Amino acid sequence: MAENVAFKHIEKTSMIGKRIKKPDAPAKAIGKTRYINDMVLPQMLYGKILHAGRPHAEIISIDTSEAEKLAGVHLVITAKDTPDLKLGFVKDNAPLKSKVLCERDEVAAVAAISEAIAAAAIKLIKVSYKDLPGVFSAEEGLKADAPQIQENFPGNKSLKFEFKHGDLAEAEAGSDIILDHVFNVHYVTHCCMGTSCAIADFDHNGKLTIYSQTQYPYNYKMDLAPALGIDPGDIRVIQPTTGGSFGAKLDVYPYEPVAAILARKTGRPVKVLFDREEEFINSPTRQPAAIHLRTGCTSDGILTFRSADVLMDNGAYTSWGPTVPVIMMRTVSGHYRVPVIDFKAQAVYSNNAYAGSFRGYGNVQMTYATAQHMDMFAEELSEKYGMDPIEFHLKNAQKSGEVTPQKSYLRECVLAECLTTAAEASDYVNKHKSYTEARAQEGRYKRGIGLASSIHNAGGAKIHKSDGCGTILKMDDYARVTVITGASEIGQGIDAVISQIVSEELGVPPEHVTLVNNDSDIGPWDVGVHASRTTFIAGNGAKRAAIKAKEQILAAASKQANVTAEELDLRGGYVVQDKDGAAVIRLDRMLRQMHFQPTPDVVMVSDYYEPNSELEGKDHISDHSAAYSHAVHIAEVMVDTLTGEVKVEKVTMAQDVGRVINQMGLEAQMEGGLAFGLGFALSEEMIFEEGRLLNPNFRDYKVPTAPEMPEIEMHFIESDCEEGPYGAKGIAELPTIVVAPAIANAVYNATGIRFLNPPMNPEKVARAIWEKKQADS
Amino acid sequence: MSEIERYIAPKKLDDALEALAGGPVTIVAGATDLTPQITGGKLSYKATLMNIQHIEGLNAVTKKGGTKKDGKIRIGALVTVSEIRGNHMLKNHAGILCQAADHFASEQIRNAATIGGNICNASPAGDMIIPFLALGASAELARWQDGSIETRSVPLDEFFTGPGRNMARDDELLTAVTFDVPPENSIGLFRKSGPRPALEISTVSMGISGELTEGTLKNVRVAFGAVGPTALRGKLTEAALEGKILNQEVIQAAALAARKDVSPIDDIRATKWYRTHLIGVFTEELLNNVCQN
Repeated sequence: MAENVAFKHIEKTSMIGKRIKKPDAPAKAIGKTRYINDMVLPQMLYGKILHAGRPHAEIISIDTSEAEKLAGVHLVITAKDTPDLKLGFVKDNAPLKSKVLCERDEVAAVAAISEAIAAAAIKLIKVSYKDLPGVFSAEEGLKADAPQIQENFPGNKSLKFEFKHGDLAEAEAGSDIILDHVFNVHYVTHCCMGTSCAIADFDHNGKLTIYSQTQYPYNYKMDLAPALGIDPGDIRVIQPTTGGSFGAKLDVYPYEPVAAILARKTGRPVKVLFDREEEFINSPTRQPAAIHLRTGCTSDGILTFRSADVLMDNGAYTSWGPTVPVIMMRTVSGHYRVPVIDFKAQAVYSNNAYAGSFRGYGNVQMTYATAQHMDMFAEELSEKYGMDPIEFHLKNAQKSGEVTPQKSYLRECVLAECLTTAAEASDYVNKHKSYTEARAQEGRYKRGIGLASSIHNAGGAKIHKSDGCGTILKMDDYARVTVITGASEIGQGIDAVISQIVSEELGVPPEHVTLVNNDSDIGPWDVGVHASRTTFIAGNGAKRAAIKAKEQILAAASKQANVTAEELDLRGGYVVQDKDGAAVIRLDRMLRQMHFQPTPDVVMVSDYYEPNSELEGKDHISDHSAAYSHAVHIAEVMVDTLTGEVKVEKVTMAQDVGRVINQMGLEAQMEGGLAFGLGFALSEEMIFEEGRLLNPNFRDYKVPTAPEMPEIEMHFIESDCEEGPYGAKGIAELPTIVVAPAIANAVYNATGIRFLNPPMNPEKVARAIWEKKQADS
Repeated sequence: MSEIERYIAPKKLDDALEALAGGPVTIVAGATDLTPQITGGKLSYKATLMNIQHIEGLNAVTKKGGTKKDGKIRIGALVTVSEIRGNHMLKNHAGILCQAADHFASEQIRNAATIGGNICNASPAGDMIIPFLALGASAELARWQDGSIETRSVPLDEFFTGPGRNMARDDELLTAVTFDVPPENSIGLFRKSGPRPALEISTVSMGISGELTEGTLKNVRVAFGAVGPTALRGKLTEAALEGKILNQEVIQAAALAARKDVSPIDDIRATKWYRTHLIGVFTEELLNNVCQN
């Protein structure tokens, strides 16, 4: 259809920073989305796992005969059927166990024609155990006479990390104040709304298709293959819509190879789906840690050293949990200028639950300690020397161009701006002073205000040999764009961000961009959703691919219009003159003209983006992320000093986001991240007794509910990151990391009591206040 | 989990009671507690599952007579917690019930959960039990006897025999809760605790009711939840308050008595210390509220 474009002018506008709706939000809101949990394949069987339910035992015998006889049961398997199959990155775990090392251990599995029959069959399996004495803490595990948990790890010693920089003795001698505390960070878990699920299906060539909730589909193939004894190339990973991950799906866990083994042996698709209680007991936790932190400071308020000795309960197997010191040490050695560092961490095997990756990745734990030490210094310096608390923070805040002792290069660093913005917006200094004065007065309810800050990688983290992402972009004859990206969408919002970026470059509406990213046979390589990396890495990839497509289109258009490509632009669905926006030709017409000619010119481009970061390395001295970011949270609380209830009334955040891409997605990440931190700070806690979880349900494991969410005031500081797409940095983990210590510092401001061991639940707070009152009187 | 052999949903009370008389029956109404108990393995289904939701005449809130001695309020077993929460007559005459309903679980659960279920479930932490105990309510139990309905009334402070256990016989159905219309000068206050404002099982809960005349409390009833094997009346606290002019000295004495009234345990939700501490705090708080109003 011919169209007169002669008088059409389209001004240059930008999509960047706009509010873009998440494309799948309406379907999720009305319940139309089909999650992996809802999926049924023809001929599918239901797999169910028998978990040991005891922390440490020999398996004397397993009798599966009754279960096998039950009508509808196709197969029962035990460790005998899966010899030599290993998983985990130190290969200390197995799909099914011949010895029990923790409560969740997978002892047998059933495939049956219904969930009910599979569950009934599990109950018919008779296992005879001989219970063994267990190890239920890292300290116990280190004792000379402790039971040995893993054969290949003598003394129960698991992973170990170390980083030293500068002369500690000299730094200590030069310190006027030295703080020395042990912070005990507790067990929490992700509580994804969609419980763990995998559906495995083998074809007749021995190729496995696994429908998975994984957030790292390409490395997943490599990690799953040895647990099945097959080649990683024979695994196709399909990622249906998933109900949350937050780090919980960054590793392969036994239920996944179990589903695949059942599928291979029965010749049928097999689905394993956890119920909520199974999810609590059999999912990874956040890595608990005892952090012995020592920090020095001069009377002028200059930090002199940080020394951290971290002891971690590894649990029975090694997943990502005990690797979190890699991130912990960046916070110890950065996050304010610290000239001398002494960091060590040791993980110790036990018969407890084992930890995986979890939003914040070690930094939630470490910032809970470092940010309280900063607050303690600010208190003491203010008391003794009259120093303004913000002044103290600013004196030590790092600036653009600084390099940390681990060689993190802070290209664009706006910690100082974050501090002053949040402090001024919340009237921190005045409120802090008046609440401190009010502390000594009578009254049941006490207000407090607390500040905390941290640093986090914001341009990926090169812990694998590659931190890159591939992108393939094609346009059809109607100017609709398909982007095939390695980046996974697990609810975090890369779908909206990529549509927005492509829209920005190609001048098409974001809803004309389709994302294909849930099939490892289609998508190119990516390292996965972690390390707050996806907008940064996949966003850069999408931008670079879109620019290539744009160059191809403008080159073709320039021949037609007799101008140079530089004089043209793509806007509002048209090729236009860059200088005045005068329309040259409709974009879809242009694409058809390019296509239907003797030498067809079709837009199909690809890009592989590898960030300019350096591999983490064994010595931990490398610029491991392409960007670093800071955030400051100021929490205002009301403490009921009798019941111990802490109500967080308001949180003022200031975060370096580089540049806002999707304002709506960014705000949602801040709110969601804060909710995680709030639960961790105040109410969430997995309670274990000798390796058994006592509260595997939402009644007794208390995630925050809507009424507990505070008022949130967000300030996004745009540092304009040189390497990031349009200047953006990764943003998703900092809100979880920073809020808990801000609350702890606010509770101190209200009550004069430091809570070194979260969660600050009502009983703990009430008891501490009551005991202080007894001691004072 | 045992098999359900028969599902019935009678419309007439006669039919329901006849079925109860005829053998083992699992009764279901709102199912908000039954389902988690079955799933969690605490209960198993009996051969007959009887849905009582459709029985006529069990879902009304009625008041007969006035606030003088003769008045009675009757709440049918199928009345939901949401219905209690929004009932104007109850707000005027027995506001403590609406306060408790307001703190009960979440909107969805309040819409489904019935008064009869909450009481028969006999949880020491049952939120609606506390205000009923404070109101001096009785359970109305019905059964099928020689071809007709026979009813009896059991005072709620005798009804609970242990965690999850009550006085109702296997062939009896709780049909209503009844109590005298509180006099005009009555007060009634409910308080529960938990770390979060919604979907919280009580760490402890408490209710207090009585008649307030010129600063003096009479006919005081105090009830505590989650501090013993059943929800219970605080007899020492009541004695510390009965006929006294409410002042700080009396309030302190009552708080002390309250701590002696209760015998909580340590469990994963709270320690004995914290529960006892909270009972003292709440007693003081509620009595101070009475003074201020």
